[in-house]
Amino acid sequence: MKGNLTKGCLKGAEIQALGKTAGLARFRHSFISFGEDDYMDPVTAMYVAQGIHGLAYGMVLFLVASGLTLIFGMMGILNLAHASFFMLSAYFAYTVLQLTGNFWLALLIAPVATATVGVLVERFLLRKVHAFGHVGELILTIGVALVILDGVQAFWGTENLPLPIPDILQGLVNIGGLEYPAYRLFVIGLALCLLAILAVILYKTRLGMVVRAAVSDADMVNSLGINVPLVFMLVFGVGTWMAGIAGVAIAPILTVFPGLADQMGLDAFIVVVVGGFGSLSGAFIVSIIAGLLNAYGVQFVSSLAPVLMFIFMAIVLTIKPMGIFGERE
Amino acid sequence: MSKTKRWIFWIVMLIALVFYPKVFGIYYTNVFIIFAIFALFAVSYNLLLGFTGLLSFGHAMFFGVGAYGTALALEHVEGMPLIASVLMGALAAIVLALILCPIVVRVSGTAFAMIHLAFGQLMYVLALKLRGITGGEDGIGGFPIPELNIFGIVSIDMADPLNFYYFAVTVLGLSVLFLWFFTKTPFGSIMISIRDNANRVDYLGFKVPQSKAIIYTVSGCFAGVAGSIYALFQNLIAADDGFHVMVSFAPIIMTMVGGIGSFFGPIMGAGIFGIIEELTSRYTERVELVMGLILILVILFVPMGFIGFINFVKQKFAKAAA
Repeated sequence: MKGNLTKGCLKGAEIQALGKTAGLARFRHSFISFGEDDYMDPVTAMYVAQGIHGLAYGMVLFLVASGLTLIFGMMGILNLAHASFFMLSAYFAYTVLQLTGNFWLALLIAPVATATVGVLVERFLLRKVHAFGHVGELILTIGVALVILDGVQAFWGTENLPLPIPDILQGLVNIGGLEYPAYRLFVIGLALCLLAILAVILYKTRLGMVVRAAVSDADMVNSLGINVPLVFMLVFGVGTWMAGIAGVAIAPILTVFPGLADQMGLDAFIVVVVGGFGSLSGAFIVSIIAGLLNAYGVQFVSSLAPVLMFIFMAIVLTIKPMGIFGERE
Repeated sequence: MSKTKRWIFWIVMLIALVFYPKVFGIYYTNVFIIFAIFALFAVSYNLLLGFTGLLSFGHAMFFGVGAYGTALALEHVEGMPLIASVLMGALAAIVLALILCPIVVRVSGTAFAMIHLAFGQLMYVLALKLRGITGGEDGIGGFPIPELNIFGIVSIDMADPLNFYYFAVTVLGLSVLFLWFFTKTPFGSIMISIRDNANRVDYLGFKVPQSKAIIYTVSGCFAGVAGSIYALFQNLIAADDGFHVMVSFAPIIMTMVGGIGSFFGPIMGAGIFGIIEELTSRYTERVELVMGLILILVILFVPMGFIGFINFVKQKFAKAAA
């Protein structure tokens, strides 16, 4: 849809900005440093800059894809409304920012509000159709996605809404002779923190054990006396919450517009498909690969960049139909 | 229904189809052509979802490839006959189906759906990016639409919407009829058995992947025919009309609303879909919002769709009478 077009444009603008940054760094260094050895060679600088750029996108992608793959692993449904929650959160953040003017408050409130919507959808819609099998659930999520997409347009309109970066994160950070936007580094850090918390909860706590057990066999866990529907609701809530955080995090970079859902949703689906359905580590690795592929693809084969991901996916799926880390059905 | 009653019903339907444009005028004739196109699209889709139990999120690619096949053939080949251009669309869809077959017949369930979503989007992006062939966002438009030439005896001008109506309805109707007989063959029973228990079909000595490949190709082929007629009708095909993910979701919604288990369900669904779209677009721009709400309500309350609902009511009445 329009999302993909905007993606191309934005990427172009970002490259220009990036070029400027790299150029600026070189310019400043030629003034400040007398020796050649402490400033990065521009070609290397470009590689590193694009690498960090791709990493930032890959991290946000992972935040969305991890929720998707967890929900899939547990409940067996691919939540097609997942990216819509991601977009909804960005709109919530915009409204909170309009009301309070505080980015941190938006980062706190919007994902929680999104997760609340997600939990309500799980409790009152998805659970009711669980008995009709996976096709019903999948199609229900299409319905939810359509309602959110059009509802958002009815509420906030179709134009791009800007979400300013908070003052502290404005400006550039110097890493080894290269100036890099602080906000993107913050996004990487935020995603890494969340990833660490998620990993600790999943692999070190009793709750995580229950979740992992439910991923491999929900019926068995249920008959052991654990309230699996409650765990489902919790996982769905956490999944949408992470998608919500990703939505707020990406909003200042891409602005808020209805096409956000397609753009991110598609990439997240590819990550889940290629990484293997329900595999968290697969999602992580493929997210990073996808981010880097995107960034370097734009740099070197800009006309083919949007197709690269699909080609990657096609190659992986022809060799392993269940994804890199997926098990046979 | 007895046999004579059924014959009378179909003859009345046929007469209604013939006189429809005379009674309702040109606007509703065009609405009907769109309905018929999507009815065939949905019926071909139901071959996968309803009969074989394969959920696909990328059926639009066959629709789109059929449309682009026809449009490109008419644009680049001098003196392309009308029927041949429709066949070109079908052929393009068949070729695409044959290319995808080796990958998709090995998986089922959600993996099948997602692979199709991904390939469908790949086709969409390709249609946008390969500007030289597809014209990008603008698509291919204004290609010449030749006259229908029957054995060199009669030639019918397709610029007249009335003539085009008869042509489109004939092609689409024959396609639906073909699919109807296809589901009634012994092979049709194999489709249903694959849906119900693929392992048992395998043990009985039928080749499941090969059978799936044939069903897949037939389904794709007729989706291509629907797309081809769509391109001829609009005299324009762009990426958003042909490959957009909403085009893939349309037959799913139609099949679900109409009734997943029956052959005529998707046709009913296409009708209901068309009526709702027509009515809501008069009052609001938010057609998708209404569609989404209806989809949710249908799944929640009438999961067997319109046909299932009718059967349910019939059973109730039968019980009450007895």
